[in-house]
Amino acid sequence: MNYILDGLKQGAALLLPPSSEILQIVVLSLAVSGAATLLASLVAVPASLFLALKEFRGKRLLVGLVNTAMSVPAVLIGLLVYGLVNRRGPLGTLGLLFTPGAMILAQALLAFPLITALALAALKGIARDARDLALSLGANRRQLAAAVIRQGRFAFLTAIIAGFSRVIGETGMTLMVGGNIKGQTRVLTTAISLETMKGNFELGIALGIVLLLAALAVNIALQGLQGK
Amino acid sequence: MQIRVENLWQTAGKKTILRGIDLEFAPGAVNVILGPNGAGKSTLLRLLGLLDKPGQGEIYYDGQKRSAMSRCQCTSLRRRCGFVFQSPLLLAGTVAANLKFGPRVRDVRIGNPEIRQVLEKTGLSGREGQEARLLSGGEKQRLQMARVMLLDPDLYLLDEPTANLDPLSVKNIETAIARLAREGKTVILATHNLVQARLLAAMIVFLKGGSLVQAGAAAEVLSRPLSLDIAEFSAAENIIPGTLVRREGRTLLDCGHLDIEVVSERSAGRAAAVIRPEDILVSEKPISSSARNSFRGPVRSVADLGAVMALSVDCRGILFTVFVTRISCTQMNLAPGIEVCLTFKATSVHLLPLD
Repeated sequence: MNYILDGLKQGAALLLPPSSEILQIVVLSLAVSGAATLLASLVAVPASLFLALKEFRGKRLLVGLVNTAMSVPAVLIGLLVYGLVNRRGPLGTLGLLFTPGAMILAQALLAFPLITALALAALKGIARDARDLALSLGANRRQLAAAVIRQGRFAFLTAIIAGFSRVIGETGMTLMVGGNIKGQTRVLTTAISLETMKGNFELGIALGIVLLLAALAVNIALQGLQGK
Repeated sequence: MQIRVENLWQTAGKKTILRGIDLEFAPGAVNVILGPNGAGKSTLLRLLGLLDKPGQGEIYYDGQKRSAMSRCQCTSLRRRCGFVFQSPLLLAGTVAANLKFGPRVRDVRIGNPEIRQVLEKTGLSGREGQEARLLSGGEKQRLQMARVMLLDPDLYLLDEPTANLDPLSVKNIETAIARLAREGKTVILATHNLVQARLLAAMIVFLKGGSLVQAGAAAEVLSRPLSLDIAEFSAAENIIPGTLVRREGRTLLDCGHLDIEVVSERSAGRAAAVIRPEDILVSEKPISSSARNSFRGPVRSVADLGAVMALSVDCRGILFTVFVTRISCTQMNLAPGIEVCLTFKATSVHLLPLD
């Protein structure tokens, strides 16, 4: 028990003030996961809007696929992205393997079905009513989409928060395609995993505290937006 | 606006909701769509308001085909319509925000005086800043009405706009609807409130199970219903079933212990007589007149309807409902048990086939 308490104490001490190495890891984590969430949302928001509003053949199949994609293990997505970006892969010429670019791509792929499916589920009760309302008042396509997004903004925000939380806490896949290179692709989760296995339990705890705080801060910020 | 629908079909999943409706609405007047729940009233309104695409068929707006309209033309047509939904649809935000949304998407400038005026008309004065979702059911309904009235459309599509309202608010909205028609607006109103239909309708469209049962001038549909469904739905007071027979050159409806003389081309088969209470004369003694039907019987009950008194008179086992004025009621000393005579013409009997 003392061992854990000591770890906590020493971990907290490491953060006062944090070293430049820890700061760099934090910034990279937020940047990679933020970019991945943004990228995924840019596709997931219109996709969920489309699925919520349009009736077409095969819609149920497509929604089923999105829901299934949500439960694909992250490590398989890592495998896929590794295959795409390694030197012999179709995107090999871009030289993305073991760069933040590959990490963003993998995390975006992981977040996309989650954000789409969660937003779609939350939009169910809202989208049709908002559509009817905006349409009946004479909205054109652009105004209609804007009105539905405005009415469904809580649904989107909740889904995006869930997506961000999922990717910032992801370890194995990020390690596979990022490589955990010190100063380049080392993020909070991969650093915690590495330092703990090296026996630097205190550093692992320090980074864990930061990870928790970072996730908490982003959630509070997004929820603050919801309140408006 | 001139609106005509042709062979309109609509399905939802495997369920057929509208079955080949052909119809022309009266422009610049109140058109009431009547029918029981599930008749397809809301579905028809949604199609007319271009909120859904018809499964099959055509709608003409001032001669313009719905199927030939571009997306842009659909939007500009929707901007000439005002839709009031059965369950109020409101934006998250204040009352004023809800009112301003329509003008904003239509690129129309609306000032605070107009907003104040329309809120006054709908009994929502001073509620501009209130959160719309926190209004009561009736207030939400009135806010929907205010929202479309503010836009001053040519066509009003109203889906049971008075369903959740208290009597005073109903009166207000009905007055507003009648005024719209006087101003030349076309109003299409779905309701199952018969009193409202009688009060407002120039034209009545009766739907049942997705099919058009009857459409025509309101007075015509209510006094000469084409089907028993309409007669029953419109709460016709006297619906008496029987069998048609011909005797001594007269056509009679044999209703058991009572024969009612009728005018009919048919002289056999089951039929129901529909007789409006206002066509039946009530007297103490038999009167000599050209009217072919005269029956006697005791009053069973007297109900005070305000403007008139409704009597239930038992003529050989058949209960007739008749109206008398308050004064005649006092003069004739009408009370349960008193015998009276009922007289009506054969031509006042509207016959419905019952096969």
